[in-house]
Order: sequence, then C-alpha cells, then structure tokens
Amino acid sequence: MTDTTGAGPEPAGGGTVLEVTGLHRAFGSVQAVHDVSFSLARGGSLGIVGESGSGKTTTARIVVGLERADAGRVMVCGRDRSGQPGRGRTQRLERAREVQMVFQDPFLSLDPRVSVGNVLREALRLHFPETRVDHARRVGELLDQVGLGSREAAALPRQLSGGQRQRVAIARALAVKPAVLVLDEAVAALDVSVQAQILNLLADIRRDTGIGYLFITHDLGVVRCVTDDVVVMRHGRVVEAGPTADVLADPRHAYTRLLLDSVPRPGWNPKHIAAARRAL
Amino acid sequence: MTTPAETTLDMRGLRLHLPGAARPVLAGIDLTVAERETVALVGESGSGKSLTSRSVLRLLPPGATTEGVIAVQGEDVLAMNAKRLRHLRTHTAAMIFQDPRAAINPLRRVGDFLTESLRLNADLSDDTAAERAARMLDAVGLGERVLGQYPGQLSGGMLQRVMIASALMGDPALILADEPTTALDVTTQAEVVGLLDDLRERFGTGLLFVTHDLGLAAAISDRVYVMYAGRIAETGPAQAMFERPRHPYTAALLRSTPRLATPQGRLAAIKGQPPSLREELTGCPFAARCAFTTPVCTEELPPHVPVRSEPTRLVACHHSDELADQLAESALHD
Amino acid sequence: MTIALVRRPGLARIRTRGSWLYLLCLGFLAVVVLLALLAPWLSPHDPNAVDLGNALAGPSAAHPLGVDGSGRDTASRLITGARTSLLGPLGVVLFSTVAGVIVGTAAGWRGGWLDSLLSRTTELVFAFPGLLLAILIVSIYGEGLIAPVIALGMAYLPYVSRLTRSLVLAERERPFVEAYQVQGHSGLQICLRHVLPNIAPVVLAQSTVNFGYALIDLAGLSFLGLGVPALTPDWGRMVFDGESAIQAGYPLCAILPCAAIVLTVVAFNVVGERWADRVARRDR
Repeated sequence: MTDTTGAGPEPAGGGTVLEVTGLHRAFGSVQAVHDVSFSLARGGSLGIVGESGSGKTTTARIVVGLERADAGRVMVCGRDRSGQPGRGRTQRLERAREVQMVFQDPFLSLDPRVSVGNVLREALRLHFPETRVDHARRVGELLDQVGLGSREAAALPRQLSGGQRQRVAIARALAVKPAVLVLDEAVAALDVSVQAQILNLLADIRRDTGIGYLFITHDLGVVRCVTDDVVVMRHGRVVEAGPTADVLADPRHAYTRLLLDSVPRPGWNPKHIAAARRAL
Repeated sequence: MTTPAETTLDMRGLRLHLPGAARPVLAGIDLTVAERETVALVGESGSGKSLTSRSVLRLLPPGATTEGVIAVQGEDVLAMNAKRLRHLRTHTAAMIFQDPRAAINPLRRVGDFLTESLRLNADLSDDTAAERAARMLDAVGLGERVLGQYPGQLSGGMLQRVMIASALMGDPALILADEPTTALDVTTQAEVVGLLDDLRERFGTGLLFVTHDLGLAAAISDRVYVMYAGRIAETGPAQAMFERPRHPYTAALLRSTPRLATPQGRLAAIKGQPPSLREELTGCPFAARCAFTTPVCTEELPPHVPVRSEPTRLVACHHSDELADQLAESALHD
Repeated sequence: MTIALVRRPGLARIRTRGSWLYLLCLGFLAVVVLLALLAPWLSPHDPNAVDLGNALAGPSAAHPLGVDGSGRDTASRLITGARTSLLGPLGVVLFSTVAGVIVGTAAGWRGGWLDSLLSRTTELVFAFPGLLLAILIVSIYGEGLIAPVIALGMAYLPYVSRLTRSLVLAERERPFVEAYQVQGHSGLQICLRHVLPNIAPVVLAQSTVNFGYALIDLAGLSFLGLGVPALTPDWGRMVFDGESAIQAGYPLCAILPCAAIVLTVVAFNVVGERWADRVARRDR
C-alpha cells in the first residue's frame, strides 16, 4: 500500500507508536491519574473509557502535552515527550508532529474569525514552510480526505454544521502528519446520524494513513465500533484493559460490567443498575 | 376524534413559525401523553423536539407565532392568560432541563430554589413550603441536609435529583423532561431514569421524555414519537417500533447508532445533513437523505397513515408498506 | 462572559437603545473631525487676531458667534480649537491603548508572578488621580501638550490593561487556543494572530469611551491654565478665557466651547458603548 499522506515520523522499530508508563497526576489532594500505563500499536486504535472524574481526559491531555505529569513517561515513536516542553521552535514542531488532538466541541475548537482554508494553511505554513507552492493543492487534498469541498474552504466556522466543523478539526490535525491522533470525546457533541459519518471517516483515515488513535470516550458503543483495544478507567486508575471485543464480551471487573449494564436498551432495568452502582 | 378523559397532554396540529425561517419550525405536531404514561420524543438537533416540549409551557422563542391547540388537562395553553399560564407552570406541568447546573441559580441555597415558586405563586407559608421541599427531596433520595447546601456543593447527578424534586413541588400532572440525562454519566443516568420512572408511577404523572438516544427511548417509554425536520416521522408503541421500524428515518437512525450488539466495522451512516431552516421543503423532509427515494417522495408530503394491522402506529412515508421487510433488518434487539 | 466597559457614573445613565441617537452622535463626531481637519480653510478669521475695540460684541454678520473679551472671533477659535482639543485625547488614547494592551496581554497570557506584578502596579496607578498626576508632570516640565498627554496616557492605561487582561484570560480558556498550542504555534503567534484580533473590538470600544474622558480631562487642565500654551486656541482654554466675559454679561464665548466639549464627550460615549453592544451581540 502506498502511503498517501505519510504518517509523520517513522517509529523507531517495534510495533508500538505510543507507550505510556506509570503516569501520575494530582490536583491538590485529588489524585486525578494514578499509575496509568498503556501502549498503542502502530496503526492501532486504543479506547480509554470512563465516566467524568475517571481521569481519562487528564491522561489524554498529558499525552498531548497540555498537562504535565507528576511522574511517569510518555514515549512516542521511542522518544520521550513527558519532560518539560522545550521553548525552541524545532522541538515544539517536533512534538506537534508526534501527537495531534481533536477536541470535543467543534463549536469552540476553531477560531471563529479564521476560514476553513486558512485554518489548514496556517498549519501547513508552520510545519512545511519549504513546500509553500504545494499548499493550495495540499489544502484541497486534506479537505477531500475529510469529505469537504472547495465551497467549505472559504467558509467561516459559524457557517458550518457541527459535523462539518469536526471534519475541519480532523483535517487540521492531519495537516501536521502526526503519528498519533488523540480524539477527546470527538463525536460526543454530534447527532447520531452525523456521528456515524465521522466514525466512518475516522476508520477510513486510519486505514489509509496508519495513524494511531487514542480514543477518549464514555460511550461503549463508540468504543466497540472504532477501537481494537480498550482501557477502562475509574477514579484515576486503570481497572481493566485488553482487546475491546474480549473486554466487552466478558468483562472481568465489576465496574466494567456496571458500565455495560448501564447502556440503555429494551428490557433495561435502571433500578438494578442503581443498586449495583451503590454496591460497588 | 374525541379526547379521552385521562389524556394529560393533547397537542393537535401544532405549527410554529419563527421570523427568518423559510418553513415552519414545527409543521403540524399531533402528540398525546396519558396519565401515568411515559412518552419519548426522539430526534436529532434541529428536529424541533425541544421546541415541542417547551411549547407545552409556552416557553417560545421571541417572535414565534403558533397555530393549533396544546391542551393540558383539557385547557389550551396557547389561549391562556398570564395568570392561568403561571398556574400551569407552577401546578400542572413542570420541566426538567438538560443541564441542571445551568438551570439552578448557583448563589441560592437548594431550599430557596425548591420553595421559591410555591411561595411566590401558591401563597404557601414558608414552613409548609419547606416541609414539602423536604418531603420531595426524600422522594428523590436526598436528605434534608441538602436544603441548606449550595448547588456548587452537589454533584451533577444530585443536582438533577434536586431538579426533579423541584419539578414535583407543585404536584404536577405532567413532567416534561428535556434530555434530562444527557449531561450525566451513564451509571448516573440509570439512577435518574429509574427515579423518574418510580415517581411517575407513585404520583401518577404523565412524562414526556425528550431525548436523542434511541436506546434510552426504547428502554423507558411506553410510546415513542420520532421527529424529523419539524414533523413526526413515525409514532407507536416503543417495543413494536424498535422491533419493526416502518419509517426509513427510524430505521436509518437505528442502524447508524454504534451499539454493543451490532457487529463491529463500518456503520451505516445517513448521508448528508438535516435540512436547514432556510430551505423550503416540498414532499417528504427526509427524501434528500433517504435510500429509498422515488419521485413521489420529493413531490408529495406523505400523510400520517396507520400501519396495517397495527392501528396504534402512525407513519409518514409513501413506501412504508413496501419497505417493511427491509426496514425490519435494522431493528434494535437487546 | 460579560465584559463591562469602565464608564463614569453620570454618563453610565445614557442608554444607547435607539439607533437614531447613535447615528446622530456618529454624524456629530464626523462633523467635528472634519472641522478640525479643514480648520485653516474653514475658519472665517484668524483665530488669534485681537480686536480690542470690538471686544465682547454679540453675533453679527462678520462674527456669527460673536467675539471674546479680546475681540477674537469665537467661531474661528472653536473650529481651530477642535484641532488641539481632539489631538490631545488622540495621543492619550493611542498611548494608553497600545501600552495597556501590551501590559494586559502579558499579564493575562503569562499569569503567575508577572500577572501579580503588572496588575498591582497598574492598580497603584489607578489609585492615583490622573488629573493630579498630569498637574504634577506639567508643573515639572512646564507648558506644552506632550507632558499632559503622557501623564493622562499613564492614568488611562489601567482601564485598558484591566479590560485586556480579563478578555485575554477568557480567550485563553477557549479550546481553539489549546488547539493552536497542540499544533505547535508559539504563545506569541497565538496571541498576535488569534487572541488580539478577537478582543480588539471590545478594547477599541473602551478606547473610544476613553477618548471622551481624556477630552474632558485635558480641557480641565487647559482651564486651569496648564498644558496648552496660552495663545493656542483650545476649548478648555476658551472656557477659562470666557470667564470674565460671563461676568460682563456676554456668556456666548464661554458657553459655546462648554457645549462643544460636553456634546463631543457624550457622542464618543454613545458611539463606544454602541460598538461594545454590537460586539456582545455578535458573540452571542
């Protein structure tokens, strides 16, 4: 298969693109993340599931570099990125090409004043200044890749629907050619019919580019749909981890079972769940 | 058709226009909720589901004009004077909002929040109101201690219980719940839904549950209305509808929802987007996105017709009968 | 997020509901600015031509607005005076806006000790009356427009820097700023390209309101005989010069500059407030 967009820096051997070991983070007296470790295979997709306060978002933000870890290591393609981010331009851009992120709310994650085309051009100018002549073509490619046309390129974010904005956010992340893409509840704010489009789009992109996904979500249906492996977090700790199909089919931990039972379906008994939750 | 005596909410031909929109935001909604009944109103954003539930309390956006009848216990909400409307909002129908943190004043104690409306509108003495507040908090599983606490001291799930307690304060006949669990965690959602169900049974209220989650609607409701672009696409008993959807939109929604029971892999996404309010619609509103569109779909608005052999179900699709088998494949199983 | 402009109590009562008031004020300001720009060609007489024989004469064909105690044509002095009266506040606003935005952005974006240092320092300036500061500096450096303009610029800086700081703090929390950080943009780039353009309308609205206040303060200084050199036509100076004329029963040459000052200040306030309202609506 020819790699059409490239997947950023080549991994330094082995099948692991992201390796997180012994992550700790406390906010005051609250231990938000406690000894969290996981790894993401090259071209793989790893889900982190949990409820609010489980530490899943903090973990993601540490991986991206928006938050600092008190202890532990984050390795991307064999390089340690958990240290204090350097102030130099080269180092900053290198870190950006290791991990990119798609945020939850597409209405807030785009600058309202910047048109879609310019969002992408900004990223290209920053990361690939030497190929300036190519940028117009590349913007077209990226938009095409996320299913947007040239009509949307001139649009401002407020002229687009939620799904379209999320496509722009994905294109912006892809423009940098990252090795890992962190998706923080990236489809939670979308309508069901649009959510399915975006999930399919993400599956296509992963197949075509080999980018690794770290998928943060509370929705087990989404986890089942887009991830190979899953980590279940509760109160800052990993309570269960393994291949998604196995964990969802045969949950070992009581909390994972509770999460599964909580998904509403016909014949669902909310009172049992409430009782199980209190018992846990 | 006559209105059954026990009908708590009876909405007939509700149309709602907003200034600047090319088509009515609500285009003829017929909807009923009976005593002790849970009715789910399902739709995506922009379908008009929230607007429908809010119009029951006449909480309309500025500039909105309405046609039709919204009868709550036989009295038309749209024709009420200010005094009757206040009475309706205090005593007859109550609303639970999506985000309890946004709906409760963070600077007032929970006790004040609960008793305010009764003290102001029902001339209850402070003591009686406080006593009722304590009883209602107990009903939602919270202690009396919460009365003196501030919203900031409570978790999201607890706040939503406070919200439910406040909805029960006026002993309403109808509770309108607008995505009451969307902002909550799944395990908390189960608890809040279980509580709502209990209270509905105990106090004999009707419950109109607005949600975008088909699974949730299937799990808790007696009857379901599926809305699309300001119209009811399909309605009927929850179980029958999710087992044998008869409208292509219902079927497509079921198929595109990532679920635990479906095989892994690509989802059957619905192409395109819901129509914007700036476009006028001729024919079926779903025609542009439907996989089974024929010329008649884009030309004629499908009427609501009863499903053959299932008279309690109505569906607005020209091809509902021919497609029955194909649509049934996307059924929601547990 | 609600950001309120800093307004003085009296003017805060003026409501800017009707758009006719806004248009009227905008038109009035346009006229004043045009008069100031075209003053050399528009003024009917030399504003400094003394004609003692004709002192305190009422309106006539040659002097439509009368003359002052030294026989100088009031209309010409009003028109030419618009120049100094507008140039001074312009300097104050430019200085306070540029410096205030830099200080406020640095404080809001970096936070920590820099924020504490800058915020406390500007609060110190806040506590010190601007007019007093100006009088102090003028008394050290003598006559001239530069000293009071810089002094008032310093005094107005906290208004802008505090507003900028709160706006930047709010803007920094928005996810798109984080998105740019993740993309590898430096803090400075994000500030210049995304944060400042987004907050600019509100800051400019505040600066417009400040313009009116600076005009009042500078006029006050001139009235006290500080700042503007004695012979330069200036509205504040004209009020001072007209004092004796009022006592002599010829109020016109003092009342007209007063009216000019008040109307201009109100107009700037209405326009600035209206702009701020518009920004607030757009954000919603």
